[in-house]
Amino acid sequence: MPEQYELQSVPYDSISSVKFSPSNPDHLLATSWDTTVRFYDTAKNEQICKFDHRAAVLTCCFADGGHGYSGGLDTSVKQLNLEAEKAVSLGQHANAVSSMNWSKDTNHLITGSWDRTIRFWDPRASTPQQDSFDVPERVYLMDLVNNTLVVAMASRLFHIYDVRKMPEPTQTRESSLKFMTRALACMNDGQGYATASVEGRIAVEYFDPSPEAQEKKYAFKCHRQTIEDVDHVWPVNSLAFHPVYNTFASAGSDGTVSIWDHKLKKRMRQFPKYHSAIPSIAFNCDGSRLAVAVGYNWDGGAEGAQPMDKHSIYIRPLGDEVKPKGWTES
Amino acid sequence: MAKKKNKAVLRPWCWYCEREFEDEKVLMQHQKAKHFKCSMCPRRLNTAGGLAVHIQQVHKLEPDQLPRIENALPGRDGYEVEIFGMEGIPAPDVADYKRRKEIELGLAIGSISQPPSKKPKIENRPLTEDELKAQLEAHKALMGASEKSAVPAPDASASSVVYNAAPTTYATPPVPAVPPVPPGMGMSPPPGMSPPPSGLPPFFPGAPPGYPGAPFMPPPPGMPGFPPGMPPPGFSPPPGFAMPPPGMMPPGAPPFPGGARPPFPPPPAFVPQGFSPPQPGAMSPPRIPAPAAVAPGAPGVLNMPFGGSPAPPPPQSASPPASAHPIAAAPMELKLPNPALAQTNPAFKKATQLKYADPNFSPDEKRAVHPKYRYIADGAADGQNENAQHEEARGKKRARAEDFL
Repeated sequence: MPEQYELQSVPYDSISSVKFSPSNPDHLLATSWDTTVRFYDTAKNEQICKFDHRAAVLTCCFADGGHGYSGGLDTSVKQLNLEAEKAVSLGQHANAVSSMNWSKDTNHLITGSWDRTIRFWDPRASTPQQDSFDVPERVYLMDLVNNTLVVAMASRLFHIYDVRKMPEPTQTRESSLKFMTRALACMNDGQGYATASVEGRIAVEYFDPSPEAQEKKYAFKCHRQTIEDVDHVWPVNSLAFHPVYNTFASAGSDGTVSIWDHKLKKRMRQFPKYHSAIPSIAFNCDGSRLAVAVGYNWDGGAEGAQPMDKHSIYIRPLGDEVKPKGWTES
Repeated sequence: MAKKKNKAVLRPWCWYCEREFEDEKVLMQHQKAKHFKCSMCPRRLNTAGGLAVHIQQVHKLEPDQLPRIENALPGRDGYEVEIFGMEGIPAPDVADYKRRKEIELGLAIGSISQPPSKKPKIENRPLTEDELKAQLEAHKALMGASEKSAVPAPDASASSVVYNAAPTTYATPPVPAVPPVPPGMGMSPPPGMSPPPSGLPPFFPGAPPGYPGAPFMPPPPGMPGFPPGMPPPGFSPPPGFAMPPPGMMPPGAPPFPGGARPPFPPPPAFVPQGFSPPQPGAMSPPRIPAPAAVAPGAPGVLNMPFGGSPAPPPPQSASPPASAHPIAAAPMELKLPNPALAQTNPAFKKATQLKYADPNFSPDEKRAVHPKYRYIADGAADGQNENAQHEEARGKKRARAEDFL
């Protein structure tokens, strides 16, 4: 088995996010600044279909194996029928849609936007948009585990919601990191989440507000390199928890992916550097593969872009490198 | 390399990562483990060439697809140089390294390169004029040499170190001796580069007393350091640009005698960094983390190289500097929805180059207002599906057209 392989027919511009299907370990959605959402079969290494937006696509999610959603700069929220290869617009935000999650318990799509709202959608209703909740800042990232929704906003704000008890957040927090929040992922066991900032640092936090649980939270430095006594510090762009082992992977603009055991507070593995920044990573549903999107992601603005920038999606089959030491099937 | 006498001072070091080692054996082990390890199988090779051949033959990669050498400093991750322990290191790099080592150890220039005399003379006396001149010559020569050998920019920064022994100057290469440069500050290093002590960047020392309070105020015309319509860098200070008189220059400062190459390439466009708070509405003076501000394109929006000469915006009252954006006509500007929540990045204790330094707007937001990606909603976007089809087609066309811009 090759160590990793590159997907065919990748987007022409930066990839903004990659997400695996919750039921099919081979199916992958990738959104891109080239205004497309592409649906891949990673085992056959082929693009099944592609959906067009009117502007760059920033985010997507799966509802089930056959349906996905996407949103981006064109402010519209689209439902993607992956089997019929048809897209339907559910409605719009007032600004770019930056993040979305499917709540399988309540059968809602939850979207976050730079318009400082979180909106709930029921795709089957005649007016899909069910609710809109104001938040204090632009929503950058959201993640959902069970019924707990974590919303990371600009100005380093965090809201934690119970999706059954909107609109009031159950907790409001300020990031424990001092720099802009750039990545967020919830633990699969629902205990907490990991977040990362543009200043090469990851924080592991817990939902339980009790002092004992809060004492366990910590942060550490990563995705940096000391060259000539100068610390070069890259943003951490993406975090993803392994669906089985509860370890997590982080990816940065330095082009590296690391696997962390957050219980032992140890790095388990660092994969060799990729050719460019990594905007997004994702584990598939059974944890046997990691998708790594590679390509310039605008950290240096327009002039940081190289005309020959290559954008790629690598699929890396995983072995024991993501399994914590002494892991027992439980 | 390891001459008996020298050993004490100059230990074997790895060209790829500039780490020092006890002896060459350990160095070779290190290189095998860290740099000549095949990323696709557990095999370790002895040299870069060996690794290249191995990858080509065993893993069937074309020579142009070879992965870069792992864990190497930028610019040293190629296969062109055949390194084996201390063998094969390009001469300019050796000299460069020695020089930096000397500075680090506080030794006189050349003391490592030459076998030390019986009685090592290390004097802690101020350098004489002649010595300074000699050093300058040596430095110039080296600068030329390292240019030819294509030492990458971060490396070249070492050259500015020559003059300033303080280790921190490694960090902020372009800032010649931060504190003792009184007037004339507006000169070569863009103002934003010097770390702002206590929040207020030290530009325009002679600024009117009212200055600190104003969030953004273009300097009055004729003020040194920032004449309106100033030409792009070129680096020859425009008239009215006070060049510090020779006496003013701290002994350590890299001099710019007529046409000498400045030790640090100018940023692509001379955007008055210190004077461009990227966040309209941010009431606090901008605190741009020191060296990060010069990271290529770090302040993305403001740094767009539009011909390289964005003239400073015309004086506007106290209103936010909307025209700081190079696309003056752009209807879409990044505005903080809630200025009260504006963020500032804390200062770093150590010399740090933060690759993304805007505390208030994400790279995606900046990208979203770039002409190539900007989305212009047509008409009332009320989200109904009826005319979506039609709009879709139009929108797509626009997106495509923009691709060619």
